[in-house]
Parts: sequence; C-alpha cells; structure tokens
Amino acid sequence: MSALATKHLLGLRGVSQSDIMTILDTARQFRDILDRPVKKVPSLRGLTVVNLFFENSTRTRTSFELAEKRLSADTINFATSGSSVQKGESLLDTLRNIEAMKIDVVVVRHKGTGVPKFLADNSNAIILNAGDGANEHPTQALLDMFTIEQKLGSLAGKRITIVGDIRHSRVARSNIWGMTTLGAHVTLCGPSTLLPRNREYFPNVTWESDVRCAVHDADAVIALRLQKERMEDSLLPSLREYRNFFGITHDVLEKAKKSVLIMHPGPINRGVELDSEIADGANSVILEQVTNGVAIRMSALYLLSGGRASE
Amino acid sequence: MNNVVLKNIRPFVDGKFESPMTMNLADGKWVRSSVADAKEIDAKGAFALPALFALGMDFKEPVRDDVYTFKDGFQAMRRGGFYGGLYESAANPIDGIQKLSAVEQIVEKSHLNIRLLGAISEGYEGKTLAEMMELSEGGVVGFGDGNKSFGSSRFLRLALEYGAMTHKRFFFLPMDYSLRHGGLVHEGPVSDTLGMKGVPKPAETIAVYSLLEMALWAGVPLHFKQITCFESLELINRAREKNLDVTCAVDIYHLLFDEKDLFNLDPNLNLHPPVRTAKDKEALWAGVKEGSIQAISCNHIPVLRQDKEVNFEDATPGAVSLEIMLPALWTELSDRVGQAKAVDLLSGAPARIAGAPVSKIAMGEPVDLVVFSPEEQSIISANTFVGQVQNSPLLGRTLQGRILGSYVSGLWTLG
Repeated sequence: MSALATKHLLGLRGVSQSDIMTILDTARQFRDILDRPVKKVPSLRGLTVVNLFFENSTRTRTSFELAEKRLSADTINFATSGSSVQKGESLLDTLRNIEAMKIDVVVVRHKGTGVPKFLADNSNAIILNAGDGANEHPTQALLDMFTIEQKLGSLAGKRITIVGDIRHSRVARSNIWGMTTLGAHVTLCGPSTLLPRNREYFPNVTWESDVRCAVHDADAVIALRLQKERMEDSLLPSLREYRNFFGITHDVLEKAKKSVLIMHPGPINRGVELDSEIADGANSVILEQVTNGVAIRMSALYLLSGGRASE
Repeated sequence: MNNVVLKNIRPFVDGKFESPMTMNLADGKWVRSSVADAKEIDAKGAFALPALFALGMDFKEPVRDDVYTFKDGFQAMRRGGFYGGLYESAANPIDGIQKLSAVEQIVEKSHLNIRLLGAISEGYEGKTLAEMMELSEGGVVGFGDGNKSFGSSRFLRLALEYGAMTHKRFFFLPMDYSLRHGGLVHEGPVSDTLGMKGVPKPAETIAVYSLLEMALWAGVPLHFKQITCFESLELINRAREKNLDVTCAVDIYHLLFDEKDLFNLDPNLNLHPPVRTAKDKEALWAGVKEGSIQAISCNHIPVLRQDKEVNFEDATPGAVSLEIMLPALWTELSDRVGQAKAVDLLSGAPARIAGAPVSKIAMGEPVDLVVFSPEEQSIISANTFVGQVQNSPLLGRTLQGRILGSYVSGLWTLG
C-alpha cells in the first residue's frame, strides 16, 4: 500500500500539499544516502519495476533506473523500438502481458497525454508517470522543487519564474501545479505562440511578456528547452529572435536577485534559451537538479510501494 | 529650407477656412513677422490645407528601380501635397532588421514623415514568421502582407498570435486568392458580357470574415487597406460591435469608378482589387460619410508604360495617385462630407491609422501644408506624374481643382 494518499503518481495537479511534502522530506533522506560510499539500500528488495519508455529518453530513464537499483528493486527496461509495440500491439495488450509477468511498478513515458492514467485505470500495478505528452512530468517538477528548497528553504512565498515554451511543456505544467500547491508565486514568460491561451485555467500564476520584468525579484528562474521543431512549425520566426527576446543572458539577469537560482530540465540549447556563461555560472544548480532527480525518484518509488517497503 | 510668403491665402485652422490673409512661412514654421529672402506667391484666394498623409505607397526600389525609385516617390508626394505616408512594398518586403534599417536610412533623407510596415512573413510567402518583435523595436508601425495571400488559416493564427506581443496593427488587403483565380474585373455584367474572368465578391468577404474572426480571437488591432463592397463593410461594422479595434480604407479610384467604366477596357483601370458595382461605390461613399470607413487610401502603385500599353487583361494591375489625389477627390468629397471631414479623411485619419503625427496649421508652429485652388482646373497628362509612369485611369481628363504647391518640411514644391 502507498504511504501517500495517492496510489499512483500520474501528475501533480490535484496532489495534496501533504503528499508533496512527504515526497520532498523523504527525498532528503535518500539524498544523504547518495553521498555515502555505499549508495544502496534494501528498501525495495523483491519488488519488480519495469521502465516502459515509448519515447526516447536518456537522462530520465537512467535516473529512474539508478533510483530503482539504489533501492535494490529488480529492474527491467522496455524500449519500444524492435518491440511488440512496433509490431502493432495495442497499449492494453502490452500492459496485460507485462502484468502477466507479475510486475509491481510501471514507470511510463509516452507522447500521448493520459497514457499513465489509462494504465492506472486498467492495471493493478503502481503507475509512475515519467512524462506524458505535454501534460505532466511530476518527478521533474518534484526534483525542481526539492532543489529550490535545498538551496532557499521552504517554497512558500518564493518567486519562481518559468521562461520558454510553456504551452508544450509537461515540466512547466507539473511545476505550476506543484509549486502553487506549496504556496510559491509562479510567473510564466514566453512568446505568445508558446503560452497557453486560456489563462483562467491557471488561477494562481502571473503572466509576463517581458523577460526582464519576469526575472525581476525572482528567487529561481527555470529556462525550458526550446524544441527546434517549433521553428519548423511556424510558431517562432527564428532562434535568433527567441534568444534576443526570451533567452536568459547576462543582460537579462542584471535586474534579477544576485542569489537567483538558474535551473533547466535539460538538455540545454546553449545560446538559445540559456547562455553558456549562465548555465555554467555560480548561480546555476542544473547539475544538482540531476543528482537530486535520483533522490526524488527513490522517494516516489519508495513511498508509492510503501506497504511492501515497510515489511 | 526656404522661406515663402503666401498672399491672399485661406488657411484651414481649427476646422475651418480663414478669410484671405498673408502667411509667412520661415524655416518650416508659420510665423507672424515678415520673413527675409522669401518667395512670394499670390494664392488668389486658394486654400492652405494641412498636408496630406498617404496610405498605400509602393516605390518599387530596390528590386524594381527600373520602374520607380524612392526619389520618384518622394517627389510625387511633395507634388501632391503629402507630408507623410505609410510605406509597404510588394517588391521589397521589410522582413528583417537589416532591410528595415536600409529603408529607414533612405526615408530619413526625404524629410517626409514616412512610416514603415514590417512584413508578417519572410518574403511575404506566408510560411515563416518574420522577426516581428525585432522589427517592432526597430520602429515599424504595424505589419502587412504586401497584398499577398496570408497563407493558411493556421499560419494567420500564429502570425496574429505572435504579433500580438508587439501591440501593433495588422494591415491586410482582404482577398481569397483561390476564389480570385486570376480574375481581373468584378464578377458581374462586365465579366459576363465581355467574357472576362471575374472576381466574385466572396473572394473579398470570405477573407474579411476570416481576418475579423482571427483578429477578434487573437486580440490584435486590424486595418483593411482597401475594401470594395457593401458586404465587407457590413462584416466590419458587426465586428466593431464586438469591440474589435478595426479600421478600414477605400482607395481613391473605387470612389471614382465602377464596373460600367470597364466597358471601354482602359488598361489603367486594371486594378487589384477591381472596382465593383455602382451600388457598391455608393455604399463606400456612405461609409466614408458616416465614418465606418476611416480614411481614403492612395494605393499608389507605379506601373511602366509598356506594361499598361497592352490589352486590358495583359496589363499589370495598379494605378498611381499621389500627384492627383486632391484635385481628383476634393470637389465631390467636400460636397458629400463637408470640408472639415474631407480634410480629416485625407490627412488626419490616415496619419492616425499609421501612428504618425497629424498635420495641422497653427500660427507659431511647424507647418506642412498644400496650397489648393478649388476654382482652377488640372489637366492630367504624362507630365503630371513623376518618373516614367503615368498609369492613372484619370490620364487625359480635366479635374476641377489644382494644387499650386506644397510647403512640407520647409521646402516649397510646385504642384
């Protein structure tokens, strides 16, 4: 049984403050373990986790796999290339076959919004969303929140600015839901073709079209990766104009707090959404985000499979 | 700069014409004291109107400087009494900051108040967005499509959505080119009688409707460079009731001609979009009078003689108008709407649409004016026009009213 109010981690929209705090608090303990000489604990021994990635992923899949191994779970990676999925097997059939192998936890990434929910509705396994369409990427948001709290203390009252392609970003959405639940002030900034149009569905956020105003007084700035396909899709004129008006550069940060944290979910387009001197500068916590990602995923896996973990 | 004394002149001040007086013009200002070394002109009771502002000018340079140049255009503006205008060239889209700064350098030297429209898409091709944010910061007053098709509806959506960040106005010539399908005249009696391919009204109204809907959705201000029929005006008025900031203009020749005039197949009346029915012409006049049409545009498009001295269907569409706009329109326009509104339609209103300062005549202030005699007549000949073009359907006609000259940015130019 899950140690959280929720059985699955499908997203952060609607997840309680208490569940989020529990994941962050538990992650703190796992983060300490990662600094030990022996980084492995037996918490999930005997538990089988399948990483079901329908989309290419390097860092998220590796991070999950490492978290599972650090918790002593048995791990199986299921990539779609060359699999039964490519041969036309339906999602439901794939799930049933995996279930038949007595899998306990499914970590899933898919280009379609709602696939983790579909699996949760049709399976007894614990489902953990590793990114679905442009909907949610809850563990990325949790690791962002963890990193901010690690550096600045409680998120409540902190000013977080997210810059870039909000409309197509699952990272942004999960961050919006999670951070506002914890009482942070979230500001969104980007070209209007890359922002959600219906702002009434984002009740507790501020919108800003000028990046200099958006970063003013921010405690942390999260730059999102700009997909080059956005240009081919006519959503933007050029990378050059994007960089000139929305890139996080030394000039843009002149009006920001000296202590502002610079974050990015990776991989970075250097010189587009983030200049190299900023990505590699003293305020950047991008690599710490990566380390913290393992601790957050350990925490989520541990708590969701809490019943067995406590045995 | 040169100094001018206008004797026996009736300046238009605070909405009305003053009694005949002497105006001393020195260093671009109307001054009370007498001025030295001044050219003296007896205006014989002519009007001094605030200089005009042109909507729709294409000077062709640099791509077609064999047809017309900036220098030609600036000279035509001064000859016609214009102090400024909104510039957009179909041949030379301003779709990047380098092109903008090149054109800015040229127009700066003219000492005319010229505002520039940036391109919505690269090369007006309706495929890739132009760098509108940078163009906006560079000083363009709005964005246009160079009278080309705006591409797919999706591209239009993205263009307006992206361009909304600039808070600038979008300028379109409403035309569904698939419905136009190579048509050159209004689809009606003329096209049927003469067997020419027609442009049905829905080619305009469908585009008007699409643009209005998309502008309402994206929340951007819109301007229709030229409308030709009653139905378009109806759609625009309906959108205004929904609080859309939308302005529109009618071009000079659509107020002077209708489809019956096409029977003589004058290639100079091959215009894009085509003139329509007499009923539409009356509806446009009514729109001008009641204010639902905000301005009268020049749509000054130079075409070489050899490209007009062909049969109607093979002629290149377009007409020039800068030099003759005032005498061509003044009598009928002031009769229909009154003198004060006539001045606003040709000067103040187009300037406001282009975000330019409005010209007005006031003692002690800088002044740009055009001296116009409604009593004299103008014979429109090849010499009336600057450069090597003469493509006006008014060529050869005698018009009531004559421009005696203009005083713009301190320079006197004969009409």
